[in-house]
Amino acid sequence: MKMTVADMKAMEERMIGDLPWLSPIGALVLAAVIAIVLALVLPRRRQGLVGAWVAGAHLAAAALAAAVWMDRGFARVLEGTVMVDGLALTLTGIVGIGGALCVGLARPMLAGTDREGEFYAVLAASSLGAVVLGSAADAALLAIALGLLSLTSFIMTGYLRHSERGNEASLKYYIYGTVAGAVMVYGLTFWFGIAGTTDLAAVGRAVAGAPDAVVIASTALVVVGLAYKASLVPFHFWTPDVYDGAPLPVAAYLSVLPKLAGLIALARVLPTALPDGAVGWPTAIAILAAVTMTLGNLAALAQSNVVRLLAYSSIAQAGYLLMGVAALSGSPQGIPALVYYAIAYAVTNIAAFAVVIAVQRERDSVDLRAFAGLGRRHPWWTATLILSLLSLVGIPPLSGFVGKLEVFSAAIDAGQAWLAAIAVVNTVISLFYYLRVIAPAVLDAPDDAPPATTAGRPLNAVLGLATAATVVVGVAAEPLLWLAERSVPLAIS
Amino acid sequence: MPWLTIAVVLPLLGAALTVALPSSLRAAPQVIALSAAALSLLALLVTVARFDPGAGMQLVEEARWIPSLDVAWRLGVDGMALALCLMSAILFLAAIAYGVGPRPLGRTAAALLLSLEGATLAFFLAEDFFLFYVAFDLTLVAMYFLIALWGGERKRYAALKFFLYTLIGSLPVLLGIIALSLSADGAPTFDMIRLADERPIAGSGLGASLVFLAFFVGFAIKTPIVPFHTWLPAAHVEAPTAGSVLLAGVLLKLGTYGLVRVNLQMLPDAFATFALPVALLGLLSVLYGALVALAQTDLKRLIAYTSVNHMGYVVIAVAAAASAGISPEARALAIDGAVLQMLAHGLVTGALFFCVGFIQTRTHTRELGALGGLMQPMPVYGSLIALAFFASLGLPGLAQFPAELQIFLGAFEAWPAVAAVAVIGIVLTAAIFLRALQRAFLGETPERWTGLPDLDRRELVALLPLLVLVVALGVYPRLALDLISSGSWLP
Repeated sequence: MKMTVADMKAMEERMIGDLPWLSPIGALVLAAVIAIVLALVLPRRRQGLVGAWVAGAHLAAAALAAAVWMDRGFARVLEGTVMVDGLALTLTGIVGIGGALCVGLARPMLAGTDREGEFYAVLAASSLGAVVLGSAADAALLAIALGLLSLTSFIMTGYLRHSERGNEASLKYYIYGTVAGAVMVYGLTFWFGIAGTTDLAAVGRAVAGAPDAVVIASTALVVVGLAYKASLVPFHFWTPDVYDGAPLPVAAYLSVLPKLAGLIALARVLPTALPDGAVGWPTAIAILAAVTMTLGNLAALAQSNVVRLLAYSSIAQAGYLLMGVAALSGSPQGIPALVYYAIAYAVTNIAAFAVVIAVQRERDSVDLRAFAGLGRRHPWWTATLILSLLSLVGIPPLSGFVGKLEVFSAAIDAGQAWLAAIAVVNTVISLFYYLRVIAPAVLDAPDDAPPATTAGRPLNAVLGLATAATVVVGVAAEPLLWLAERSVPLAIS
Repeated sequence: MPWLTIAVVLPLLGAALTVALPSSLRAAPQVIALSAAALSLLALLVTVARFDPGAGMQLVEEARWIPSLDVAWRLGVDGMALALCLMSAILFLAAIAYGVGPRPLGRTAAALLLSLEGATLAFFLAEDFFLFYVAFDLTLVAMYFLIALWGGERKRYAALKFFLYTLIGSLPVLLGIIALSLSADGAPTFDMIRLADERPIAGSGLGASLVFLAFFVGFAIKTPIVPFHTWLPAAHVEAPTAGSVLLAGVLLKLGTYGLVRVNLQMLPDAFATFALPVALLGLLSVLYGALVALAQTDLKRLIAYTSVNHMGYVVIAVAAAASAGISPEARALAIDGAVLQMLAHGLVTGALFFCVGFIQTRTHTRELGALGGLMQPMPVYGSLIALAFFASLGLPGLAQFPAELQIFLGAFEAWPAVAAVAVIGIVLTAAIFLRALQRAFLGETPERWTGLPDLDRRELVALLPLLVLVVALGVYPRLALDLISSGSWLP
């Protein structure tokens, strides 16, 4: 197809008209670009300002997402490649707020290191990749977003240049990531072959005429890339090593934002490219969910390193989240359940990591023994630990409970009651290892350890905010349930 | 005034207050806990005055909570809920007066006891499944910490086992709740009054049976019904005294209350199909609990196992009421008896666990073989525990006699054989308690126990009100039966 000058002009005008829709994404682009400039011009002791800028820009992205939602509603923009709909805008909100919280988690660790400003810039770029991944309605854009997200994640993981484990983790993540990304691109080329275009909606129209074997094989390949981001079994092997090797604030970030972006991308891509549950993908995803939660929970049982425990816990949580994806073609509750669970999981997991980071800074260890006697030394940290871990179990009235209620309802409503039953068994298993962290913190006497320290202001603020959110999102669930019900993808055909 | 809400919220506010106050105010937690529990009981007494026994579910209080799921703060009472709330509030007051851990009551202990009370009352008063489940699980968390922090030697093991087992029970209940709420006419609802009226899951097909079993397993673990009882001995034995009192006196009733409120009221058709198997499990609990108790030499374990026996009668009564073709009179008789038995067992077992606690703090043993002749040095204590023993074995004139009598009369119409065999349980419990009385309290007093002090004021304050009520209910059971009047709220 040849474009005339007039065509190009028209396209340019359309794209300029689209810009207001893209303002939340624009905020993240600016966050990264200006952060690089600031990092260059500011002296080392002022690099904290770059963090403040990036955190502020994240919050601005979330605010702009809300503004776009209320003022303009939803649209498909940039020649149909980017969806600005409830699902995308809510993801932008999660990434904006979650990203800002992660900056707070990272600041005490980064203060005074030599590339502090650059770290924030990379984090902003990573958030950009996460938002675009969840908004993409086009195969090529999907691949680019995955690439951006992966690349920035490798860099953050290896931030501490002199940490051998950090470098190893980064390399491991890099190898897994590039292979998974390449596999996904390979799958997308099949879709391109089927539809003759990278537009996912066009793939959705064309699959009915394509041979089932090709559709199944290509879909499986595409799922690999996103499943790796979401650390679904069996693409999860990198997770514990990377979380354990990476700086802990980076592990917190990876356990929430890229994971949720991958899951939300799955929830958008699968029903768009394979409408009406074509080739039985909902059942396949349901099985993947069951396997992911079960293996994640069983592996977590054996951990005595709390970061590895949280890594396996986050794998198991991805399984519960995936229940929403599995249910979305059989029940209108599927997507709202996924979105609500995602919000609850984001605040809860950030709260849990905040305590682990605080303990690690004081005791220089994340072994279970480092948590012994935490209750006497730091009652507030312990409150956060108990509330966040019980929320991950799904104990009411915490946010994790309402999340479980939602995904269980969605599964039962979609005719996947067996998956809900497996999730129930898993919940019981998970209680066992979460209590392994809570029990020594509450019951043991503190051993002779260095005197109690404070966590540093940004970390304390994140600890308090995330804990409050863990409780409030559950007790006052109505506003977020209202939001989740409207956070559905815009219908495209 | 929303008196029910006040009764639930006061203990929770008290819990928040104790945590918020600085730890330098040493007496504050005790004062706050006692006042919150007393005021909560007062609010319930006001409710009794406003209550009309003939009107079924009433005094409903409703406030918006999560409209998009049709979840609301819905509280209401019928005879069963009100009677159980009163009994619980009295036991909580006694438990708080006695205390947990160091004296005076610490901040954490006060907060946990008050949260447990708020959650328990919310559970009995809840007419919304969301709130019902929240309260059900909160009791778990509070009791976990009570056992884990102030329990006996194997407290961690016992606390973990308790938490795991009861969570295994509560999650099927959650699935059952979801299934019920999704099957309501129109939009899903968590409104228990509507679900009890409309009974959206009728019949006894596969779906209804699965939902029935999901609820049943959850409540059976809580009650506990044999073979779901294995968590009970560890938890009861390792819990601190006040914890055992509340666990046996109050928390076990959550299970049987759920059986009546949900299985019987909302799934009657499915229950009718499963009535006989459930009754047989109840019968098994009656006999197994009594026989195992007979073999115990640890006084606390012994009492723990008699709970399995006594709750078994309640299960038989509920199953009889659910059986097809039972007359309305026998049905009301059985359920009135079941609720009365829950009250009586709460008071009697509460008193018994207090008594065990008193002796353990003095002698540091609970072995029947090591004790002996305690009546001599402690005549008041000896007489009171004898009274509690007699109440527990079902002596006429004490609270459990009218309850068990009604249960047998009701169950006899449904299954004469089951009722007849269940009577053996009474004989066994008589043997258990008379033997315990003989070994620990009568006979020669060993040298080392001659100087034991009798009960002090704090112990009497905790114990006496319970025993007074046991006698009152035994002599004049109408006191409770007029309130319960199950005929007015059973379907």
